[in-house]
Amino acid sequence: MLSLSSLISKASSLIDPNILPPSLLNQVNGSSNDGQTPAVLFRSNFRLLDSENPLAVIPCELSLPTGEHYFGRLHLSESFLCFSSSAPSSTSGTSSSTSSSTGPSSCGFTLPLVAIRRVERLHSRSYLFALAVTTWHNDQKLTLQFNSLRSTCEKFCEALKKNLRSQMSEMKNLRMLVGSCYSEWLVTGGKLKDGMKEEPDAGLGMVWRYPGDPKKLRDKSKMRLWAEYLRENGRNITLIRQPTFHKLIRVGLPNRLRGEIWELTSGSLYKRLFNPTLYTDTLTEFSGRHSLSIDEIEKDLNRSLPEYPGFQSEEGIGRLRRVLSAYSWQNPDVGYCQAMNIVVAALLIYMSETQAFFLLSTLCDRLVPGYYSQTMYGTLLDQRVFESLVEKTMPILWEHLVKSDVQLSVVSLPWFLSLFINSMPLVFAFRVLDVFFLEGPKVLFQVGLAILRINGEELLDVTDDGAFISILKNYFLRLDESAHPRSDNEKLRAVTRFQELMVVAFREFSGITEQTIMDQRLKHKDSVLSSIESFAKRTTLRNLGPESKRLATNDLGYIYDRFYKVLYERQERLVAIEAEKERLSDKKVLSSARSISEKSMNEKGRLGLGPSSQLMDYDYFREFLAGIAKWAIADSPSQIYSSSSNSLDAQWGSSNGRKKSVNLSPWGDNAEPADHEFMQRLFRRWDSDYRSGLSLQDVVAGLAGIKGKRDIMESISYFFELYDDDGDGKVDREGILRISEALLFITRRGWETPPNIGEQNRGLEGRITDPFLNSVSGFIRRCFEYADPDSATGQETSTGMEGMDELVDLLDLASDDEDEDEDGEPKSPIKEKKPKDQATEEGEDSDGSNENGNNTKPSIMSANAALDPANPLHITLPTFRMIVLADEVLEYFFESGFAESISLSTEWPKTPGGRIVSSSSFAGFGGAAAGGVIPGAKGLRGVLDGIVNDGLRVAQEVRRRMDEAQKELERSAVPTKYKDDEEEETGDGKSIMEQDRDLLKGAEASVVDEAAKELAQVDVVSAQPGEGDADITALQSPTGLTVTSNLGDVLMSPTSPGPTRVEFDAGK
Amino acid sequence: MSEGGPKPSSSVKLVLLGEAAVGKSSLVLRFVNDDFQENREPTIGAAFLTQKCSLPSRTIKFEIWDTAGQERFASLAPMYYRNAQSALVVYDLTKASSLAKAKHWVAELQRQASPGIVIALVGNKLDLTSQATGLEGTMGTLSLSSAGSTGTGGDADDDEDEDARQITTAEAQGYAQAEGLLFFETSAKSGHNVQEVFAAIANAIPETTLKTRAGPGSGRAGAGAASGDTFGGAGGVNLSAAGEAGKDGCAC
Repeated sequence: MLSLSSLISKASSLIDPNILPPSLLNQVNGSSNDGQTPAVLFRSNFRLLDSENPLAVIPCELSLPTGEHYFGRLHLSESFLCFSSSAPSSTSGTSSSTSSSTGPSSCGFTLPLVAIRRVERLHSRSYLFALAVTTWHNDQKLTLQFNSLRSTCEKFCEALKKNLRSQMSEMKNLRMLVGSCYSEWLVTGGKLKDGMKEEPDAGLGMVWRYPGDPKKLRDKSKMRLWAEYLRENGRNITLIRQPTFHKLIRVGLPNRLRGEIWELTSGSLYKRLFNPTLYTDTLTEFSGRHSLSIDEIEKDLNRSLPEYPGFQSEEGIGRLRRVLSAYSWQNPDVGYCQAMNIVVAALLIYMSETQAFFLLSTLCDRLVPGYYSQTMYGTLLDQRVFESLVEKTMPILWEHLVKSDVQLSVVSLPWFLSLFINSMPLVFAFRVLDVFFLEGPKVLFQVGLAILRINGEELLDVTDDGAFISILKNYFLRLDESAHPRSDNEKLRAVTRFQELMVVAFREFSGITEQTIMDQRLKHKDSVLSSIESFAKRTTLRNLGPESKRLATNDLGYIYDRFYKVLYERQERLVAIEAEKERLSDKKVLSSARSISEKSMNEKGRLGLGPSSQLMDYDYFREFLAGIAKWAIADSPSQIYSSSSNSLDAQWGSSNGRKKSVNLSPWGDNAEPADHEFMQRLFRRWDSDYRSGLSLQDVVAGLAGIKGKRDIMESISYFFELYDDDGDGKVDREGILRISEALLFITRRGWETPPNIGEQNRGLEGRITDPFLNSVSGFIRRCFEYADPDSATGQETSTGMEGMDELVDLLDLASDDEDEDEDGEPKSPIKEKKPKDQATEEGEDSDGSNENGNNTKPSIMSANAALDPANPLHITLPTFRMIVLADEVLEYFFESGFAESISLSTEWPKTPGGRIVSSSSFAGFGGAAAGGVIPGAKGLRGVLDGIVNDGLRVAQEVRRRMDEAQKELERSAVPTKYKDDEEEETGDGKSIMEQDRDLLKGAEASVVDEAAKELAQVDVVSAQPGEGDADITALQSPTGLTVTSNLGDVLMSPTSPGPTRVEFDAGK
Repeated sequence: MSEGGPKPSSSVKLVLLGEAAVGKSSLVLRFVNDDFQENREPTIGAAFLTQKCSLPSRTIKFEIWDTAGQERFASLAPMYYRNAQSALVVYDLTKASSLAKAKHWVAELQRQASPGIVIALVGNKLDLTSQATGLEGTMGTLSLSSAGSTGTGGDADDDEDEDARQITTAEAQGYAQAEGLLFFETSAKSGHNVQEVFAAIANAIPETTLKTRAGPGSGRAGAGAASGDTFGGAGGVNLSAAGEAGKDGCAC
């Protein structure tokens, strides 16, 4: 004879239950774990909304009208009065508030304050303090006797009184809710009560029948038992959970009450109570709107429980459509996930649309969090948890699975995801759901484990997934058969396989509790999220589109990481700031607290949890750039901050003043990004879809445009197009100034100059100066020289006088590339004229570059005239190109310097284009360039003040920046011994005037001396580990810096080291 | 069950991938049960089915993993294509976006799945295109009489004017050729080309990757197929051979 117990012992012989680790058996109680604050536990224990907080608690004895007495604790929150009995002493492991109020042997209630009609203080002996509570359903009077100090009791009562009053306004909702509950109908014996217009909706089953044979399910007798229970213990919102309640649920709910009890035990009833119109409002608000989720829902409507007749009807399909759509609108982060259709379809058999909507929301938020999210992390996490539980409880089976390379989750994943609805026959799946809504997600694990244990022996015989699956498939199909068909004992023969399953699940695996699941989820969360994230990264990187091919794989990986890091860190930061602001402004926004989403804050901030937004706005973009490019970091945080605070305030509302504590900074601990017009242009350019936000794809494409393997011509065009606002191939005066500004902006912290450029400059032009400053001033000058007046047509283009040869050479060089790039661009006068220029350069070299009647003047003068705003002018791309190529430093900047100013992954200090820049020489030059800000400031000021008559704005802008940079440099260079103040002072006044004059005359002789001095200075400064060259010092050991910098000089100019450098070295 | 004598038998793991609602499960149902259901529940996670396919030289037992198509299930896919020797990447001929998704899957399989995996690109729902008529004629012998009552014969008249096709044969075929994939256009509804797909895959699986070693002399697979060549479009050159194999093999 095979009894159930013998079966269990047989199973146990396969699987040693003693293996259950202590953590599984000894349940933690009250100890609040990471993320499980007392408030969270309190809410989950009583199935309350997120807005509820435990305000007061008091030990108390509950006396029910039926005569039972329970000792326990009474809790008060904003809108609820809750009671849970202490567990009987036998199960001493569980106690206090965390002992589940839903445990089978406990008693409890979750009473909305609005459902309390009366609270009376009972006259009793003076040392006792007791209240009589009359609930909404008049026939009920609860006696609560407090066991505490009188003062505590009185305080509790005060709080209760206050909250009761504040809840009065919800009375209307209560009436509506109660009117829609089937229990009312049942208790009143089918009579319409006030607020009830018809028999309450108990799902599609009322019309299309409920699954299963009602006779076999003994639906009538169950209904009678429930009617009795509900009459005695209150119903819907006033229901008191006594042990009988649990028993009634365990044997299976009657069809018409099922929906309501699910709603009650899961707590979704309370969501509905406080949001009575949310469902219909959502439907109205989004009616006719489209989304990806809506499309996906439409695809699945006809294939959700298609065998149930209700879902072959328009009515059933319509309900399903509405519930799924409303939820997808309500929680767009989740949207719609396949399997939700099946779950909701199942719910709709037993409950109304509104009820299903709120129950779905409770499912997604609390019962199976993350199951249906974009990344389905909850599903994967629970599979891991399940695997680890199998490993612990059934080690032999687990070992067998591992050995045979059978992946458990291929079998179990659908169980969890569809809550067994599409694995078991519906009648049984609903029985599992009955307990699931009462006791929570642990039920899924218990049932899953029991399935494996019952089939353990057979499963040990198979070695591939296929056989594994078919054993279980067969098992599910035979759940209604006798578990012991050959038993002599008739009672035993009557036990079905499903009953056996329930017994094994809840008896043998009673050690699996909510706490077990929470602990296990916590334990595996990180690794599951990480694997999701690496998978997502792999997939995303592969599908970034053709542009991404221009970047190296590890660069893409770097961009990806950086993109999401900025996105999530910033989102988190902003939420924190927002919360802080709300706290400070001290107004609790009830409406937001009443939102149906229970998602807590710590559930955000990881890609694996499902992205909330995938777009970077401009501020995110700035932060992103600041992480990859030195130039995108603000020079002087406070100042920049105040200058951009307008936009910030606009965004964040003028918050609590300007007082910014460190962690309230919108940039967190990161360097504050700069805000420059150039960055705005980049942002607009990258924003391919004009969404005012950049997707990862936009960022990758944008960076590919700069850093991808392109030649110098492309790079020049790219820059030019950034400033060609209307796309007509022309950049006007304003644009020219802005370009120069941008060039200086990008290089103000230094950039990688090739070692031989300076030397060549010297050789070609006989001058030495801070290469970039000089180049930019030359750039402005040339731009105005060669610019075309807007109105004139067919004018001659003059090349300059000095550097003529060079230009012609460069034009020759450039011409090939130009031909390639030319398509789509407007015909350029320069290009057309080029052959002529070359042919007639001697005769024409002073021919006017303008038709303004001043064409007899030297070109420098005409360039000045060109500054006259009355003469609009522009440069074209070919002109721009020519000017850039005329200057080696600029040429180098566009060839590689610009691209390298943005550093991704590990590429630094790799050099492009075959130019070998050893790290040591780079250090020397990088340092020089970084330090070059100081003389640059002076020099440029002179340049701009002198030449840009109408460009005061630019000058000021540049000056401000330079000043800032200088200040910063001074700050960072404070400890220096080398700083030569004298030299700086003497150089100061002189350099402005002389550079002024030089420039106007077009002569450069005196610049040489000036620049030589400055350069010497630069090297001194560069030897200081300042902020500007942080990256350089990172590469070089601080002590070796000076040495390598000298070495760099030598390497750069092996043949003829510049005189100043030699001097400088000697001086040191 | 078909009786081909004591041929060597080996099992082949096959995974189906593709956008939601392109007909993955329907293809499998047609192949395994020769049946078609209008509204099938979406696959949750994955479904597992097996079917034998008899080739002249050997018997292949397909262990078919039919996966969920919705985008968010993509992260589960590695679990299912793990160790797969063959894959059916399915798209919907009448939905342009589904081919793009199919290409993603092909790329993923080529990088992440077992090396040497045999991939077939399958454009399903041919019955919705105007081509359905002509093809039905030529392939009449292959379409099984028990095909759904809503046969393409009836549809053909309606579809004459309106062609729902969004992806041309040439486009998909060109891609398949470039990537070295088998290529078919099928209709799970009519059964058109379904057996052929599986037969072609069976033929294309290299002997060496089979779990059970085949006996000596049994290594001659269908001409051309074993080398991983792409097949012609529906009704292409190699089809007759492949179709033959499918016909006598996969009836059970």
